[in-house]
Order: sequence, then C-alpha cells, then structure tokens
Amino acid sequence: MRGITKSFAGNSVLAGVSLRAAAGEVHALVGENGAGKSTLMKVLAGVHRPEGGEILIEGRPVHFTSPADALAHGVAMIYQELSLAPHLTVAENIFLGREPLRFRPLGVVAKRELNERAGRLLEDYGFRIDPRAVVGRLSAAARQLVEIARATAEARRVVVMDEPTSSLTAHEAEDLFRLIRDLKGRGLAVVYISHRLEELGEVADRLTVLRDGREVYEGAWGELSQGEIIRHMAGRELKDIFPPRAAQRGAALLRVEGLTRKGKFEDVTFEARAGEVVGLAGLAGAGRTELVEAVFGAQPFDGGAVYLNGAKFNAPDPARAVGRGLGLLTEDRKRTGLCPDQTLARNLTLANVGALVKRWVLSRGREREAAREYVERLRVRPPDPERVAGRLSGGNQQKVLLGRWLFAGSRVFLLDEPTRGVDVAARAEIYRAVNRLAEGGVAVVMVSSDLPELLGMADRILVMRRGRLVAELDAKRTTQEEVLTYATLEEEFEIRNDE
Amino acid sequence: MSDWLKRFLPFASLVVLCVLIAAAEPKFLSAGNLAGVARQTAVITIIAMGMTVVMISGGIDLSVGSEMALAGVAGALLMAAGAPPWVGVLGALAAGAACGLANGAAVAALRIPPFIVTLGAMGIYRGVALLATDGKAVVGLPQSFGWLAEGEVLGFVPVPLVFVVLVALLTHFLLSGTRAGRYCYAVGSNVEAARYAGVRVSRYQIMFYVFLGALAGLAGAIESARLVTGQPTAGEGYELRVIAAVVIGGGSLSGGQGSVLGTVVGALIMGVLSNGANLLGISSFTQQIVIGAVIVLAVTFDEFQRRRLETLS
Repeated sequence: MRGITKSFAGNSVLAGVSLRAAAGEVHALVGENGAGKSTLMKVLAGVHRPEGGEILIEGRPVHFTSPADALAHGVAMIYQELSLAPHLTVAENIFLGREPLRFRPLGVVAKRELNERAGRLLEDYGFRIDPRAVVGRLSAAARQLVEIARATAEARRVVVMDEPTSSLTAHEAEDLFRLIRDLKGRGLAVVYISHRLEELGEVADRLTVLRDGREVYEGAWGELSQGEIIRHMAGRELKDIFPPRAAQRGAALLRVEGLTRKGKFEDVTFEARAGEVVGLAGLAGAGRTELVEAVFGAQPFDGGAVYLNGAKFNAPDPARAVGRGLGLLTEDRKRTGLCPDQTLARNLTLANVGALVKRWVLSRGREREAAREYVERLRVRPPDPERVAGRLSGGNQQKVLLGRWLFAGSRVFLLDEPTRGVDVAARAEIYRAVNRLAEGGVAVVMVSSDLPELLGMADRILVMRRGRLVAELDAKRTTQEEVLTYATLEEEFEIRNDE
Repeated sequence: MSDWLKRFLPFASLVVLCVLIAAAEPKFLSAGNLAGVARQTAVITIIAMGMTVVMISGGIDLSVGSEMALAGVAGALLMAAGAPPWVGVLGALAAGAACGLANGAAVAALRIPPFIVTLGAMGIYRGVALLATDGKAVVGLPQSFGWLAEGEVLGFVPVPLVFVVLVALLTHFLLSGTRAGRYCYAVGSNVEAARYAGVRVSRYQIMFYVFLGALAGLAGAIESARLVTGQPTAGEGYELRVIAAVVIGGGSLSGGQGSVLGTVVGALIMGVLSNGANLLGISSFTQQIVIGAVIVLAVTFDEFQRRRLETLS
C-alpha cells in the first residue's frame, strides 16, 4: 500500500500511509485508538475506498470495489466485530458464498461435502469445533476461531487480523499463533493488528507504528523496546488549545464505589469533586463507556453504588439520572445523541423541555431564546436555531449536544469521547465550555482516547485496563507514555494511588 | 428547497385534483356534494389525527378499523340497554382508549414491533366486536343519537366537521405546544437519543396509542350514529386509508415527521379521490388500486428525501 489517504466527513483519518507486507512474513501494525489502523486495513480489504494512493499486489496496482473483490485477489480480513451469520452452521459460514454445489444450474448445496471439507479444515487448524454446530450457540471464542478459519481458507496472498485474540483464552491464542506460523510457512503475508505488545512478540517479524493517520516507524521487530514503541505511538506534541482554568475544588459531587458489571468493569471506585475534571483513560474495550453509562442508568450493573452529593443514587434509567442533575454526552452521537431530522433548537432543549413549559403550554419564544443563547455561547455554526440538526457538521452537532446538558443545568457531566470526529476549531470551543463548567462548580468526568486531550484538560487521570482501574495519575506530572504503559501492558502492576 | 416541496406537494395535488374533477363533473362543487365529502372524510380524518401522533413517534397502528368497530359496538350496546347518547359516546371513547392502552403497553413494555402487535390486535378487536354482538348489528339506538352524524350546527355546518376541526386543533396543540409533542418528534426521530436525554419513552408511547384509540372510539361513535346501528363489521380497511392520509400529508413511516395540516390535506385528497370517482362512475374496486398506488408513491417520495438528508449529514 502506498500513500493511502482517506477521510470521513471532512476529517482526515489516513494521511498518506504506506505499508509493505512481504510473503512469508507477519507484519505487526500498532497505534493508539483512532490512529487509523482499522481504517487502513478496511481499505486493504475493499471495505473502504481510498481517496489517494494505491494498493499493489505482487507489484501490480489493484482497485478493490468490495470485500468480495479483495478476496478474489487473495486478500482476506478477519474482523474485530464478528461478521458471521448466527443462524447458519459452522460449515455453512466457512463456505458462505462459495458452497460446493451439486446440479450446478439449480444451485443445490452438497451438504455432506460441505461438512467434510469444513471438518478437515478445522482439524488441520487444530480447532476443536463441530462443523455442524449452529454458530449462534458457540462461545465468543469459538466464533472467533470460525471467523479465522473462514478468512484463511480462501486467502491466497494476504490475511489481515484485527485484534484476533481479544475474545480468546491463552490456550486458544496459542492455537492461533500456531496457525499464523503455518500461514507464514505457506508463503502468505499476515498483517496483525493488536494493542497487546507482548503477544506481538510471539509472531511478529516486522513492525509499523501509526499515529494520527501517518506511519511514524517501520522496521524489523525487536529493533525497538516496548517503551520505545509506546513512545512512538503517543509522541504527539501538546498543542496550546487547552486554555488555563481557574476552578475551585469543592465537595465530591459524584462518588462511585465498587461498581461492577461482570465482563465489563469490576470494583471501580472513584470520585469527582465540584470544579474538577477527572479523565478516564484506557484502550477501546477497557470498559469506560459501559462504566459511565451505568452511572447514568443507561446500562445495567451488578454491584456497587453511586453517590450524588453524598446521597446514594443508583440510577434506574436515564430519566431519573437527568432529574438528579447527571448529564451524559454519549460516545456515539448518531446512535444515542442526535435527533437528526429535528431542529437544532429542539435537540438542544430536549433534556429540559420542562423549562419551556408554563401551565401546560410550551413557549416557542422561550425555546428560540434558549437555543439562541447556547448557540452563541458555544459558537455553533451556522447560528440558526431552526436548522435541521442532521445538516450541521460533526463538530457543531457535538456542541449542540453539549449545549443540551448546559441547558438542562446538569451538575455532573459525563463526557464520553467528547471530541471524537470533531474538527480542531470545534474542539477548542468544547474545551472552553468544559473549563467554564468546572469554574462554575460542576464535576466533569471525561472519557477520552486522545491522550494529549486528557493531559491538557484533566486534573487527575484514572487509567482503566480490562475493566479495572489500574492507576490514578496527576495530570500535571504524568506523561502520555506513562498513561499508555498502564493502559497497555499486561504485567502485574501494583495499583498506584497518588492521593 | 426540498422541505418546501414536501410541504407544498400535498396542497398542490389537492388543488389539481379538485380542478380536474370539477372540470369533468361540475356537480362536484355543489354545496350538497362538498358537505357530503366532509361527512365521509370526517371519520377517516379524526382517526388520522391520532395516527399522525403515533406515526411521528415512530409507531403505527393497524388495528384502528377494528378499534373503531369495537368502540362503536360498545357505545351502541350501552345505548340499546337504555343509556343516554352522551353515555354511549363516552363508552365508545373509553373502549377505544382501552384498546389503545393495550396496544401501547404491548409495544412499549413488551418491546414487540408495533406492526406485529397491532396486526394481531386488528384480529382480536374485530373478533371481540363480532362475539359481543353475535355478528349482528346492534339496533334500537335512540333517535337523538343520529345528530352526531347527521346534525348541523348554525344550520349548515355538519356536526362531524365540527368534531374534525376540534380534534385537529387539539392534536395540533398537543404536537406543537406541549412537552409531549416535543418528545413525540424526538422519540420518532431517534428513540435511543430520546432515552439518553431523559425522556420516559415507554410512558409517552403508551400515551400516544391511548390518544389514537380514544379518537378511533369517537370515530366509531360517529359511524354508529351515521348508520343508527352498532356495526361489528364497521371500519374494515380503514387502517389503509388512515395511514395513507398521514403518509400523503408528509408523515414518515420511519417516524419523526408529520403534521396535522398535512394529514388533513392527505385525508381530503383521499376523500376527494373517492368522491370524484363515484361521481364519474369509477368502481370502488378501481379506487382501492388507486389508493394503494398513492401510498406507495408517497412513501417512495419520503424515502427518497430521507436518503438525501442522510447523504448530507
């Protein structure tokens, strides 16, 4: 791949990335969340089309129009999100779209041959899975193995694996590594994406580090120490878009005690004081989103308690959480934030429509007034309260959603990736708004995968790894490397407490 | 531009339709015929007001025709047993609201798709109405009850038309002047976003279905008054006309969009179409084909618009 560029909704995700994967070689691809790894691989697998650059296979340029097209050229991808049909059997999934047929014109599937071939394949790989089993009834790990078998069965040149071990046990991961060495031996190129640097050591021959959509390092595996790799992943300069803040620290507005949800997060305890911004760092899948949504009552939890202003309040649903002064700016603007075909004003006032109602009658004048006030305060562009929200840019949509909680008068703000997919100018507005909130005595919990942002905005940074809080760091004294080390490494660190 | 087109198109269609029919058959414009159109359209329009609310919130109710029959029968049975007409009307309203409550509860609490819930309910309510009357019309209603359908206010305004205006004003106020109205649009636009913004989604969904059910009940009472009997077979196929009125008026099957004025125009288009067809001697069978085609056209137009919005965002 040479000089690949790609952007989504005007945000550049890949800015001229090149990657060379040689036959018989495992190429590790690492980078922070949002560095562009998955996008790059989706370009390679024909899911996304690049805006610039070219893909060469055995020296010849190719243009993939679909994943099937890429597969025809021998490029197969194993997706992070499982992409199997749950109602079909293992064998049917493995040969989906290329079933062995009898009576070719009629398209009758040769069931026995299908099952035999799938069985042989699984046996070769050392996976103990019945080809006749229905995929939906398998464990997550077994499904992952089926996915791997499906992708590799047809791959002739390149196999891409995106975090393949995330749902596997150590033993199953061993099987996978054996398979990878086998693929290597058969002369395939394997591109392996992972956050777990230890496991890369098991299989990787070469390494590419991506950061902000660019490759920042390319070389043989082993040239860099783990610490150096992490430094390459993080190494951004702090820009001065983080304005200073003069906030007085007050009482603990939010206290989370021993909050647990099996498989998502475990025994999480922290507090957020008035005037304080608490950062929550961690890799994708560390449980941060599930945690803040549980506090907000939007997702369940099994144990532990939440205290607001010292009083126990385990939110049963978002409605009651909002009533108690909690506000959640969700991670997924499209799914859980915006009402796209409603006006900006209606989106902005949605969490506090009651403030517009006087004796059963909703005042449009007040609605417009409120919208105008927050549009001005957050500098929403264009400043038109009657504009349909779906037609605003991502950054301006995010400002409106932040404005929703400002208008609701929330006392505890949970911000989940508040600047994801947001341009630099809108970011600066959001940072200013967060600072003003803190100065006004609000408690802010900010989940972010953008480390410079956390270092620039937070007072304290809590690091989550696999559902647990593993570190609490002073944002003024810590470094990106330190945060990433806690978020990434598997060694048994003692939980460090700076307080 | 396209928003403007979407609002304007139903009006334009109605005007063009009226001009065409009047040109072909001048009797169309006579006061008697227009009053007839108003009476015939009233029942559909009243139910369509409730349907507008439910469809804006992202739901749908296929059982409105059966609800109407059940409510009409309930009111008729009360009156046949000696109750005064106003008790009969309230009884019909209550029966319709109860049907709506059951639909809303199943949709909101059991989280079953509204299409399926109300498809089942359509059969259930019709069956209950037929069982309660042994499949026969309920007769022996008081003469004064007929006023609800045949009476006139100020000497020339048909009573059903008065109800249409009152219901339309009420619905318009509900949608644009209350908190429930804001939530209605928000839930239909993005139910998860509404939930995360603190809207008690289930409670409001149930409320919207109850509102529709009560209006179907009122429509059932008016229909009984017109026939001066309680007919367990009343309102068959009305769900199609009601949904057509909403969709033609700019309501979206995927929620978040729709307006009272649009639906009124949509219902009038349906009424004028069928009246004009009758005047011109076109069979009611052909009318059904036309109605079906108009729905598909309106939905295609809506879908086309939505895709455009999506590519914009």
